[in-house]
Amino acid sequence: MTLAAPLANLAQWALLLAVAPLLRGLIQRAKARAQNRRGASLFRPYAELAKLLRKQDLVPDTASAVFRAAPVVSLAAMLVAAALVPVLWPAALLAGGGDFLVLVGLLALARFALLLGAWDGGSAFGGMGASREAMVSALAEAPLLLGLVAVAILAGSGSLAGMAQWTLGQTLVHFSPVYALAATALGLVAIAEAGRIPVDNPATHLELTMIHEAMVLEYSGPSLALLELAAAVKLSLLLALLAAVFFPWGMAPAPTPARLALALLLFLLKLAAGAVAIALIESTLAKLRMYQVPAYLGLASALALLAVACTALIR
Amino acid sequence: MIAANPWMAAALAAFLLALLLLPLLAGLADRRSRLRVAPAALLVLALLAGGALAARVLWTGAPAALDLSAWAPMAEAAPFAFTLTLDRLSAFFLLLLCAVGAPVALYAQAYLERHYAGWRRAALWALLPLFLLSMALVLAASTGFAFFFGWELMTLLSAAAMLLDGDSPERRHNTYIYLVMMHAAAACVLAAFLLFLSRAPSLDFAVMRVAGPAMPLALRNAVFVLALLGFGAKAGLIPLHLWLPKAHPIAPAPMSALMSGVMLKTAVYGMVRFSFDLLGGGPSGWGYALVAAGAASGVLGVLYALGENDLKRLLAYSSIENLGIIFMALGAALVLQAHHAPVWAALALLAALLHSLNHALYKSLLFLGAGAVGDAAHSVELSQLGGLQRRMPITGGLVLVGCLAIVGLPLTNGFVGEWLAFRGFIAGAGAGAPVLPLLAGVLALISGLAAACFANVYGAGFLGRPRSPAAGAAEEAPRAMRAGMAALAAACLLVGIAPGFLLRPLGATVAALLPGAGLLPGAGLVPAPATALAAMLPSLALAVALAAAAALALRAWRSGGVRRTATWGCGQPLMTPRMQYSAAAFTEPLRTVFAPVYRADHQLESQPDGQAWYPTAVNYRSARTTSFERSFYRPAVQAVVNAAARLGRLQTGNVQMYLASIFLALIALLMIMRLA
Amino acid sequence: MGWIDAVAANLLASSAGLLLILALLMAATTRARTCILLFGLQSAVIAAQIAALARLHHFAEGWAVAALVVVVKVVAIPWVLLRITTALQTTPIAAAAIGPTASVFVGSGLILLSFAVVRPYVAELGVDPARLAAAVAVVLIGGLLMVTRRKALMQVLGLLVLENGIFLAALTTTLGMPLVVEIGISFDLLMWVFLMGLFVFRIRDTFDHVDVSRLRRLRG
Repeated sequence: MTLAAPLANLAQWALLLAVAPLLRGLIQRAKARAQNRRGASLFRPYAELAKLLRKQDLVPDTASAVFRAAPVVSLAAMLVAAALVPVLWPAALLAGGGDFLVLVGLLALARFALLLGAWDGGSAFGGMGASREAMVSALAEAPLLLGLVAVAILAGSGSLAGMAQWTLGQTLVHFSPVYALAATALGLVAIAEAGRIPVDNPATHLELTMIHEAMVLEYSGPSLALLELAAAVKLSLLLALLAAVFFPWGMAPAPTPARLALALLLFLLKLAAGAVAIALIESTLAKLRMYQVPAYLGLASALALLAVACTALIR
Repeated sequence: MIAANPWMAAALAAFLLALLLLPLLAGLADRRSRLRVAPAALLVLALLAGGALAARVLWTGAPAALDLSAWAPMAEAAPFAFTLTLDRLSAFFLLLLCAVGAPVALYAQAYLERHYAGWRRAALWALLPLFLLSMALVLAASTGFAFFFGWELMTLLSAAAMLLDGDSPERRHNTYIYLVMMHAAAACVLAAFLLFLSRAPSLDFAVMRVAGPAMPLALRNAVFVLALLGFGAKAGLIPLHLWLPKAHPIAPAPMSALMSGVMLKTAVYGMVRFSFDLLGGGPSGWGYALVAAGAASGVLGVLYALGENDLKRLLAYSSIENLGIIFMALGAALVLQAHHAPVWAALALLAALLHSLNHALYKSLLFLGAGAVGDAAHSVELSQLGGLQRRMPITGGLVLVGCLAIVGLPLTNGFVGEWLAFRGFIAGAGAGAPVLPLLAGVLALISGLAAACFANVYGAGFLGRPRSPAAGAAEEAPRAMRAGMAALAAACLLVGIAPGFLLRPLGATVAALLPGAGLLPGAGLVPAPATALAAMLPSLALAVALAAAAALALRAWRSGGVRRTATWGCGQPLMTPRMQYSAAAFTEPLRTVFAPVYRADHQLESQPDGQAWYPTAVNYRSARTTSFERSFYRPAVQAVVNAAARLGRLQTGNVQMYLASIFLALIALLMIMRLA
Repeated sequence: MGWIDAVAANLLASSAGLLLILALLMAATTRARTCILLFGLQSAVIAAQIAALARLHHFAEGWAVAALVVVVKVVAIPWVLLRITTALQTTPIAAAAIGPTASVFVGSGLILLSFAVVRPYVAELGVDPARLAAAVAVVLIGGLLMVTRRKALMQVLGLLVLENGIFLAALTTTLGMPLVVEIGISFDLLMWVFLMGLFVFRIRDTFDHVDVSRLRRLRG
């Protein structure tokens, strides 16, 4: 069965991509229910993407090639990053089992491309969104890396597959405080990276409150579709990352069809749980003022720092 | 002593001689005929040959040695030993010099032609080879005298280049500060060398290598501290960095590229040579000192760069940041070695050396790009640039590669260096140095801030609309300048996608410096994580290329076409360049978050005075004196001046007082001789 | 039933991490209501710890103490404090001497300090270092709240958190204090809260604010 492993890796990568817009639809539906509405269909994001792909692409007359290239680079980086996360079994398609530094690097590449695309629009909104995003991402990078470093030290491996494998081998009684601290830190950072409330409101177009939306304001048609898809893949990637590192139970120990099917079911359940959690947070909390976000990320940094310190203090 | 190959010695001599004699042809650069490209062409050829020599030493490990003290005229002129040896460490840095120098020389051919005329052009073409020669001497020296000779020559030649570029009181003041600080640093390095003399009969590196580990700990600590002060000041570590942002921007662009790219690395070379080779490693306190200095430089360097509007000063501060990262990795290597984890120390040292090469490549690319921009738009202020990517597509593309590399994004060489550094820091957890993994957080913060900084540089400089008429009329750079930058950009991408070819020779270099690194079973010469990375990267590059193709296909699949139209301005009929974000505005949130670092002086006055409610004019002035100048340098300088004033009272002018002091000195010397 | 024992053991092991996170969140929060809710959560975790210990070590008193903690510290005291904050009608943001980011990093420093402090005692006491360090950390964070928060109500909250920490320390080393002592302490706490409530209203009516940094008449 030498083809089973690469096929399973390909399957889990395709799953992550296919499920991304569905996740968005699920969050929208859950939020609507929380607001006592019925909400749109779960599959509406797919229809939206299809609609955008058919439209005309408007490009500012002062823009250079970077404007057209940015969505392509952003989506490409996200697509490759999705191949690094173990979903159904503790292995990944690329980068030696999903090296976490490569993952963070690819997320940074996607974000850098987006920043440059925003600059090239030549409008004030682009610069504004880019400057706010630069602040948030500069402060979010440290807790993201430190949280993953803490787990990497515990697991003795630098790859996400290795971390998932190690966690699978732990019985619940041995749950170290490092895990709790790192999980909380990474949860806070995931919300910041994905651009959800309380850091950024993905449904607003008010000048005072936009971050991600301001960066993509000048894009339209197929380019906008690429950027929306990239954002959706980023969210599902982050949730899958949290599930793989902190709640991997249910993953198949070997790529047999039966176990993989069970793992698929459990993964969808975990994603749904994550979606409902995000929807509840978005419905109950208000967005933070922009200059309160550094305090929020400072809390995440302190938690991540403690997680790394505790790997040495609790032995 | 490995017997050195006489052909290699001859090659080294020929290379150095070529660099020495090229200034004689500098006058040709001023002619109008085709001969004017001769100095540049010959310099590039000489550097390529030198690079080939260095590569041979690096790959095969056979050293090239040249003993000039036996040569009669040298023995008469300077009775100190003057030996040059290229071992693997020297060869690596020499390769770095040639790899950066050749593209810079190519670029300089067009740049110096456009900017300077007459005797200035010839003078610069004379200075360039000599400057490269001085740095090559420093790298190849294997006696204290040769090292110091090259060191001083480096400082003097670069100061000369700075003064050649123009004449103004500010320029002279900056050059003066540069000379003073470099001489103070040189004094520290000289003192470090001389301290060896109490235990070693001569200052030949081979002799010092044996005597160093045998010295008592107090003496080794003293040598290390002096070396750190001397090389740290040369490298621009905080708080000894004052000269860097003053000196680098005022030199001509090719010179700035060489100073930032190569000269700073000679300081790294000196530090590695002293700590690992001549002293043979030391207590973990040394490593932690380097780590602290490196971390402070990294964070503060990038924060100061964020606050800059002048592109060249920004790049100078960014050099401080990158040197901070290199010293963090060096410190981690020392700590890991002190904790008896030579394999991980090798990884950290590998990261430091590779990051030095990477920084040399992309920083010189960026400085050359800044030169091209200044040439085309007649300004390097970010508030005067913009829209240059459309006017200068190739230059813009190459500068973009430089920005991607300096931020450390995947598929560029910056990513490889930072990946190795991260792994080196994480290794501290298993080796009993729990502080080291926390450095991963510091490096991540530096990385994030650098991304913001260089998104700002490229965005404000090249994207959007031109903010000044000159920027709107910019022309593409001449072919030679583009070719030089392209060579550097290609090197950045090559090391980023296929670093494997460098890893074996670097691994051998590092293994020679860290005894025990290669002796663990299964360790091999290259640390396992490095090999793993080299295996990952090509497939990653392929994956990104395929994914980009897929994204393009998806976009073009059912697209309704592309239409160029004006940017929507919320109903405004006319969009002016001033409606865009400026560079200062982009960094404003980050500068507000890190406000305690900047401590700018604000002055706000409204006129007429005393009538705050209906002013006729409002003036706002904000000036930033770097807090180090205020709190560290000025008090230090003041203390020295006060002490000098007090000592000046000894000069009474009375002849008998002077005779008495000479007599007292003689008696004191006789007593010391008697007691010793 | 083996699985209940497993759950109890798991609860004990993971409670240290939960308590550390809650302590840091309390240092980070700027609103009085959030702080009160976090205190309630913290007390709930402590009650769960007592119940788990009671199950694993088979002593019946533990269940009574757990019930007492739930009634007094999870339900009664937070309810009273919330009523007081609503009635006071002051601003919801609890002014602090140092900002939230600085508080968080000082709090982290205190947590690291508590780990360093308990290290020499862990071996001879034979306890889980994480649990003991979490207890000391809660004490120190309670002290931090008392010292840096300016609203009178937050001072009593800091005191309550401090008492929680001391209780945790007793729990970790000696399986808790006798039931009689527990009942006594719990009633003392209720008395504190009621008295503080009365005083806070007096302060508000006399001075028209509850900012303790402005109460400086007690000078020589």
